[in-house]
Parts: sequence; C-alpha cells; structure tokens
Amino acid sequence: MKKIGAGVLAATLAVSLAACGSGNGDSANNGGKGGKVTIELALSKSSQDSAFVADDLLREFEEKTNIRVNLQWLPAEQTSTVLQTKLAVDETPDLVQYNLMSAVSELNLERNFEILDNEAWVSRLENKEVLSAFGHVYSFHVSQDTGKQGVVYNKDVFEELGLSVPTTFEEFLAVCEKIKESGITPVFMPFKDNWAANVFPAAAFADYAAKNDPTLFDDLNANRKKWTDVPEFAAILEQQYEVYEKGYTNADILSDSYDMAVGKFLNKEVAMMFMGDWLIDNILEKDPSMNMGLFAIPTSEDAYLGSSPLGGQLFIPKKAKHMEEAKQFLDFMASKEIAQRIVDRQKYVPNLSDVTTPELPAYKQEIVDRYIAPQKMALTSEARTIVDSSELYRSLQDQFAGGKTAEEVLKAWDEKFNQLMKDKGAEGF
Amino acid sequence: MKLSKSLYSYYLIWPALIIYSVFFVLPAIIGLYYSFTDWRLDRDAIRFIGWDNFQRIFTDKTLLLALKNTLIFAVITVIGKNVLGIALAVALNMRLKSRNFLRAIFYSPSILSVLVISIVFTPMLRTEGTINRLFESVGLGSLSQAWLTDPSIVIWTISALAIWQHTGFQMAIYLAGLQSISKDYYEAATIDGAGSWKSFLNITLPLLLPAININLMLTLIGGLKVFSEVFVLTGGGPGNASQVVGTIILRAFGEGSWGLGTAMNTLLFAAVTLISIPLLIFMRRKEVTE
Repeated sequence: MKKIGAGVLAATLAVSLAACGSGNGDSANNGGKGGKVTIELALSKSSQDSAFVADDLLREFEEKTNIRVNLQWLPAEQTSTVLQTKLAVDETPDLVQYNLMSAVSELNLERNFEILDNEAWVSRLENKEVLSAFGHVYSFHVSQDTGKQGVVYNKDVFEELGLSVPTTFEEFLAVCEKIKESGITPVFMPFKDNWAANVFPAAAFADYAAKNDPTLFDDLNANRKKWTDVPEFAAILEQQYEVYEKGYTNADILSDSYDMAVGKFLNKEVAMMFMGDWLIDNILEKDPSMNMGLFAIPTSEDAYLGSSPLGGQLFIPKKAKHMEEAKQFLDFMASKEIAQRIVDRQKYVPNLSDVTTPELPAYKQEIVDRYIAPQKMALTSEARTIVDSSELYRSLQDQFAGGKTAEEVLKAWDEKFNQLMKDKGAEGF
Repeated sequence: MKLSKSLYSYYLIWPALIIYSVFFVLPAIIGLYYSFTDWRLDRDAIRFIGWDNFQRIFTDKTLLLALKNTLIFAVITVIGKNVLGIALAVALNMRLKSRNFLRAIFYSPSILSVLVISIVFTPMLRTEGTINRLFESVGLGSLSQAWLTDPSIVIWTISALAIWQHTGFQMAIYLAGLQSISKDYYEAATIDGAGSWKSFLNITLPLLLPAININLMLTLIGGLKVFSEVFVLTGGGPGNASQVVGTIILRAFGEGSWGLGTAMNTLLFAAVTLISIPLLIFMRRKEVTE
C-alpha cells in the first residue's frame, strides 16, 4: 500500500504537470479588440473571499484601465505544486496571491518574484516589514492585520477576581494562583496537538530577539548561531513548563486537543490559553457576549506581542508577461479610495498612511492601542523559521511527557534544523 | 484429476496485467529510483545521490526507535491476534446456544473504522478516563496508567487496541479452517483415549496449519506496515515515542524530504518481502494433508 501511495503521488504530480502545460495555453492572450490586455491572477480556491478579487473592484479596474483580469483558481491542496510548476515552465501568471512566508520557503521568492521597492505606494506604507523579505518589498497588501499570538484570556474572570494583566512572569504566576484558588483552571494546554506547545516559545523567543538581539533569527538561518547558543531560549521553555508543573493547567495536557478550547472558554472552565487571536474570533462566533482579550506572553517585562506573518499578499513574478499592467493593478488597489473600501469591508487595520481604520471589534482595538500603535510587536520565531518546524513541536510535547529537558528540546531541534537547512541547500549549512 | 485444457485464451490476462503494471509495478520502479535521489520540496533539480538516503536512515535515532516500535507492534499483534484468534475459534466452534451471537460480537470491531475506534478509546484511555477509573473502583488503582501519553507504554497500548480490533477477523478464518476438519479424526482419537488437549495438539493444530499460515502472513505484513492505528491515536507522540516506520515516512514527506521518504518506503517494502517470503516457504513445508 505504501508503495502504491508513493506511486500515486508521483502520478498525480505528473498529471498536474500535464494539466498546467495544456490549461494555460491562452494565458498570453493579448486580445485583438481595441488593444485590451488580459492579465492573469493565480490564487488558491481556498482564497475565494480574497478582498482583491471582488467583482466590483475587478470591473472598475477594467473600466478605468482597459485591462481585464482573468482569475486562475488553483486547487487548494495543490496550490504550491501548481505554482512551482508554472514558475518553472515559464507559464507564469502576471500576479500571484500567496503568503509571503510560504513564498520564501516554497516558491523561491528571490529568484522568481519582482522587487517592488520603487513602486509609488511603498512610500505610503506604515508597516513595510509585513510585505518584505531579504530587505526588500516583494508583495502588496492594504492590510497589516497579522495574526497575533499571546495569552488569550477571559476578561470577565479577571474582573471578577480583581486581577489585572500581568507584565512580568512572577505576576503571571500570581494571577494563575488566584484563578486556581477560585476553582477555575488558569491555563488550558491542549498539547495533544503538539503545535500548540510552540505558541508560547515562538512569541517569547521573538520578544527576546526583538529586545536583545535583533539579528538573531538571521544568524540562526545563516548558521552563524545555533539554537542551543541562546540560554534564554531554554529559560523560556522552562517557564512554560513551570506553569504546568505548578498545577496551573488542565491535568491531562497530552490528551486534550485544540478543538476543545472554545468549549472550555464558553463553559468558563478555563481562564487563559497561549494561543492566537483567531481563537477569540472562534469564541465570539459561538457567543458574542464573551469578553475576551489578548496580552503578550509575559516572559520578560512589558513583553512584545507575537505576530504571525500577514497572508494573502499579491506578488508579481519576474517573468510576468504583462509586468506594467500588473503594476497598474497594484496601483489601483493601493489608491486611497479603493484601499479604503477594501479596509472598511474587511475590517482591516490598514497599512497605507492615508487610509483610516474602520471601527474594529473591541478586542482588536485594544490590541491596536496597546501593541500595534506603540510598535510592541515581534514576528514569531515560527514565522522566521524557513523549514518545517514539526520536529520542534514533537520535542516540546516530549518535554511535557517527561522525555526531554528544555536543553534537550533545543539540542534535538538544532540537529533537525541543521539537517533540514542542509537538505534545502541553504547557505552556511 | 487432470485439468490440462485451458478454457480461456491467455490474452485475457492482459487487462489485469496492464493495470497491475501501470499502477503497481511502474510506480514501484519509479519509487526505487527516487529513493536514490535528493528529491525535495524546495530543490529545483532532482539529483542522484547513491546510498546517502539509506545511510541517513540507519543513523537517525528517531528512525531506529520507529523500527523498534514497528517490530514490537508486529510481534505483539502477531502473537495476540493468532493465539486469541485460535482460542476464540475453538471456543465458538463448540455447541453453544449463543455461539452465532458471540461470533458476531467478536467479529464486529474489525468492521469499524480505526478513526471511530480512536474517537471512542482516546477519552477512555485518558489518565482520568474510564479504564483507569474501572481499575480504581475494583481496588486496582496501582494499575492505572497514562496509556497514550506515557512514552514507555504507548506502543503497547496501541498494540493491544489493534489486537482487540482484529482478533475477530483472524477468528473467522480459523473457524473456517476448523470446520473443514473431519469429525472422524476426533471420534477415532476419543476411542483411542485421547483427551481434548491431546486431540487439539495432534489433530486440530496440524490440520489448521493452512489457516495459521494465512493468518500469520496477514498479521505479520499488517503489523510491519502499521500506520493508521498510530496515526489516529497518537500521531507518533508524545514526542516521537510511538513513531513507527509508516508514520516516520509521512513525517519525511511532511518535511518536504520526498527522496528520503521514498527511500524509507523502499526499505519497508524490502523488509516486508524479505521477512514474509521465507516465512511463507517455511510454513508451506510444514503443512500436512488429510
């Protein structure tokens, strides 16, 4: 069966290659009628709600510029494979919607995509970083509304117990103690899903690097430093373990899974969790009256909130057949009026200085005031890692199963990281 | 008996042969080739790298652990499924009023999806789950375990669940085997004064050998290729404690190391073949005819 599995994989790859070769024949369609140009925008079928492909916007763009946008919907589970193939065989679309970080690790960003540093809209960007890699702006978006990661907490519980948001780890433990005394589980750890064990370290590592060693992740990715070289990393892993060891969590953390989290919060069984703000959205969807908030993982004083990379950016491949028209499309989307319309519609935090922020949900507004505006955000270590991190998750899970110490977790991950980077052909490994 | 005349032309074999070649033989050969390459998610070219993948497999600690777990699982389940399968078959071959009902009961787990079994058992196997509470309620609290989260016992728990699920299937094959044994032998043995244990050893077992062979092969191959049980119950965790070869292959593919994953696959394929074919030949020789 396994044998067949590998074969089927190879066969599907071959089929998808063939499909791309033939299905794309008309992409260079310049159209004879009145010099109308058609540009191709390739995006995953799972991005159907993308703000950039709303019918009215595409129609307006066509009326204004006489450029038609043809959407190439790629099968969601094969988006990266199909795009890799398209880029490799020169059947390049003029625009691609993708996630910047994945584009770095999956689509060979530097080789395949155009640097956009000199576009007019770049000067209006508030947060260049969410669109940049290797020091250049490679992508476009009107939003800077990245996922945020920290401690999701039930504000009502805090209020009832007279607690305030902790700003140091000692305060955090004290808060846990108070909550535990009230009979509520302070922190929910669903570590059967091993990725959940990495939320705390990923944000805390980023906080450490942002404050003490801004080039740390670049150094790690270039093999100038090792994961085991940073004693603070081990200390952070020990802090997360301490929360569990002191009994501030659910009892059976390795049996509980992430899908139980929403229910635990709704039933007021738990008060906090190390997670992203998407969990708050999921909770509010079920019960809008819940009073939720997010604060930074308090491993250092006045810690930064972890941010995951922005997704759904637009890219222009270097080999785009209609480079100028594709750039016009970005100019159109970046224009004050259109950008404002998109931002209002999607309730985004805008990234263009002349676009105003719409009324945000209460928890989001709070994040803006407390973290985004004062620029107390740091891209998580997870986002800065350009190889698959699942071995780190497993090692973290092992830490909680009693199989590894914090140092051993980092040592195991360092070995795996080295190997994956070497396989990848990354420089310095 | 002579049946030398072939009724159909050999050409009729072609459709099956073509399908088999295209969907099995060809991918297997392609897979063999890829296992000697550095085929990766983020590499443009596929390069031939000789035995590097295999060398890496045998120096990877996690993979050696997976190999050990796979062997534990295979051995435990082969013994468990077959010993219990024969015992059940013999018991349910006796004249019991409820035997059809009992046969259905014992067979039923094997028609369940592993996913369903995982959903049912995962909560039962929690540290404060039904099974541990059951132990506590009868005063055997010391037997309570973290069944799926203690690295040292997790693979045994998974093996036990697999035995529970599939013994009924083995039982069905043994029942068929038992029913093909003529009652005359037992009658003759009884007249000669043999007890039931003696007739089991000297009549039932030898004449059951064809069924034993089939079951040994099925359970052994199934055991070596174990994947779904581990995948749904623990995903190889906690950490890597319950990884088996099947899940480690998935891990390699997930990391984008397609060449390495294919090499592991090739190795598994070779191991299954090298273990099962000699065993098959050996067991065949032992079979007796009535």
